[in-house]
Amino acid sequence: MDVKLRIHRFVEGRKWEQDYTVTLKTGMTVLEALIEIKEKQDPTLSFTCSCRSSICGACAVRVNGNAELACEMLVENLVKRYDTNELIIEPLGNFKVIRDLVVDWDPKYARIKKIKPVVQPKPEFSKETGCKQSPEDFNKYKKYAGCILCGSCVSECNKNSLNQSDFLDPFVFVKAEKLVADSRDKSPEEHLKAVVDAGLWRCFNCQECTAKCPKGLDPAGAIEKLKEATFAKKLDDNVGARHAKAIYDDISESGTLDESKLNIKSEGFLMAGLRAPMALRLMRVGKMNPLDKHKVNPEIETIRKIVKNAEAAAKEAE
Amino acid sequence: MKYALFPGCVLEGAAAEAYTSLNKVCDKLGIEIEEIPNWTCCGASHAQGVNDFAALVINARNISIAENMGLDIMTVCNTCTLQLRTAKARLDKDAKLKEKVNKVLKESGHPYEYKGTSKVTHFLWILDEHPELLDGKVVNPLHGVKIAAYYGCHILRPQEIMNHGDGKHPEYMERLIRKLGAEPVWFDGSRKCCGFHAQLAAEHDVLTVTGQIVDSAGRAGAMAIATPCPLCQMQLDMYEPEGREAVHSQAEVPILHLQQLVGFALGMSKEDMGFDRHVSAQAKLKIG
Ligand code: SF4
Ligand code: SF4
Ligand code: FES
Repeated sequence: MDVKLRIHRFVEGRKWEQDYTVTLKTGMTVLEALIEIKEKQDPTLSFTCSCRSSICGACAVRVNGNAELACEMLVENLVKRYDTNELIIEPLGNFKVIRDLVVDWDPKYARIKKIKPVVQPKPEFSKETGCKQSPEDFNKYKKYAGCILCGSCVSECNKNSLNQSDFLDPFVFVKAEKLVADSRDKSPEEHLKAVVDAGLWRCFNCQECTAKCPKGLDPAGAIEKLKEATFAKKLDDNVGARHAKAIYDDISESGTLDESKLNIKSEGFLMAGLRAPMALRLMRVGKMNPLDKHKVNPEIETIRKIVKNAEAAAKEAE
Repeated sequence: MKYALFPGCVLEGAAAEAYTSLNKVCDKLGIEIEEIPNWTCCGASHAQGVNDFAALVINARNISIAENMGLDIMTVCNTCTLQLRTAKARLDKDAKLKEKVNKVLKESGHPYEYKGTSKVTHFLWILDEHPELLDGKVVNPLHGVKIAAYYGCHILRPQEIMNHGDGKHPEYMERLIRKLGAEPVWFDGSRKCCGFHAQLAAEHDVLTVTGQIVDSAGRAGAMAIATPCPLCQMQLDMYEPEGREAVHSQAEVPILHLQQLVGFALGMSKEDMGFDRHVSAQAKLKIG
């Protein structure tokens, strides 16, 4: 079977789409198809790759709108998924494109630097004794140490697509969580503060990053862990944190969300007051009635105990 | 066919029409639902950012009540589905964690332990897995009606947890729309996140994406957007005017709960489906 690859080209300011045809072989990866095109059809086509075995992260591209590692993804699987023998190959989204499928990592490295991306060793470590930690402590961040910086997670990040200036890339949050959870670091607060300032609470929780990570690192989960750590370190004075806390508190106060009060708790009376036109709109169609009394779960005492006991158990495990 | 229903806060509050329409539609389809007694909020994808373990135990409690009813759980909200399924997946693969959670449930006086016997599924998935439920019941096939299927994030991702269809290229909602006689339309915003969970923290961006989604569906000729998530519905419906302003669009598109669309095909009216409680584009809906 022949497969048509429609490749987005970009050379010296000129953009176009170019079609190439390759014959599908069993086990052929997207990267093999690209290499075949470059070697046999068009030497001007540019893309990056290095390890060809899902380790270096250099080969990530978008196929039909989803980021994939080209050296890992089989063409036949894509043909099956999209039920077509025409695939659209583009450079990763939310990156500056240098040429064809090659993207610019320099601005991303500059963003990584915002979180002070190195372990700052505790004073008890020395040249003589080293910087050791127990396997249990290593396991706390081991998963996040596996990032190969492929950029797949940011390619379709919904927040990044709208505005990158006040929000980091998912892999930067992964790196930050690795450092915050690393027992060797003397001041997780410093990384955390930088992360809060650089947009932690602006994440949409859309899970695109987690869905795209070829290493299964769960960047969206890393973001949640960072949020949890900001509460422990009292870095929670912002609207996002107050909103999350209001929801959490509603569970132990009544069992369910008290929607009519959520904005007031999260934003304060003044900001919530500015939303009055929205409240009026909702009242008009009967979606909100400020006079309604919020129901309290009949088992609230047990629920409160669950929250309290769970908090104590979590603390003990720290 | 009977399920323990986890309605979630929003069906009890702002999206009460989603609950009444669900009841009526399930009744017609022969799906029996019984609300999980004294369920609590799933954490709405925020509680785990405050205290992950407490949020996990809260959901273990919710699931354990359904287990005691001897039923699988049906949800109608993407976010509730993700929270419950995440809790279940974590507990089912980690015996130590399950033990820890059960210890907290027990010492707090909750009568049941979490066992892992109830599945957690979504109304949309039930219809997808049992297309025969609709056989012979579509008395008002929605011929000529173009519908934009808006899945929302949490029913698709992460695949490892949600695991129904292909999260990167889902088609099951379009399949259902066709089964109802209507025509699904492809639109640019179909895979974008509505931003609901960041409405307060990133307001401008969220209104922009809300506007983009509605605008792209409108441009694709959609007569309505249908979604299986009441939170997406709320975001797109309530903030449609601000979204329009943010992207300078003219699009006015009604935003339907999935069960309302199904209800129309089953012959029910706008009044039956509580459509008068919608904020945007009331006059534009030409079905029901
Ligand atoms: S969950 Fe947050 S970081 Fe991940 S893709 Fe969505 S908006 Fe981006
Ligand atoms: S977190 Fe995953 S997707 Fe993102 S850069 Fe690292 S390995 Fe790639
Ligand atoms: S070439 Fe190294 S990850 Fe694909």
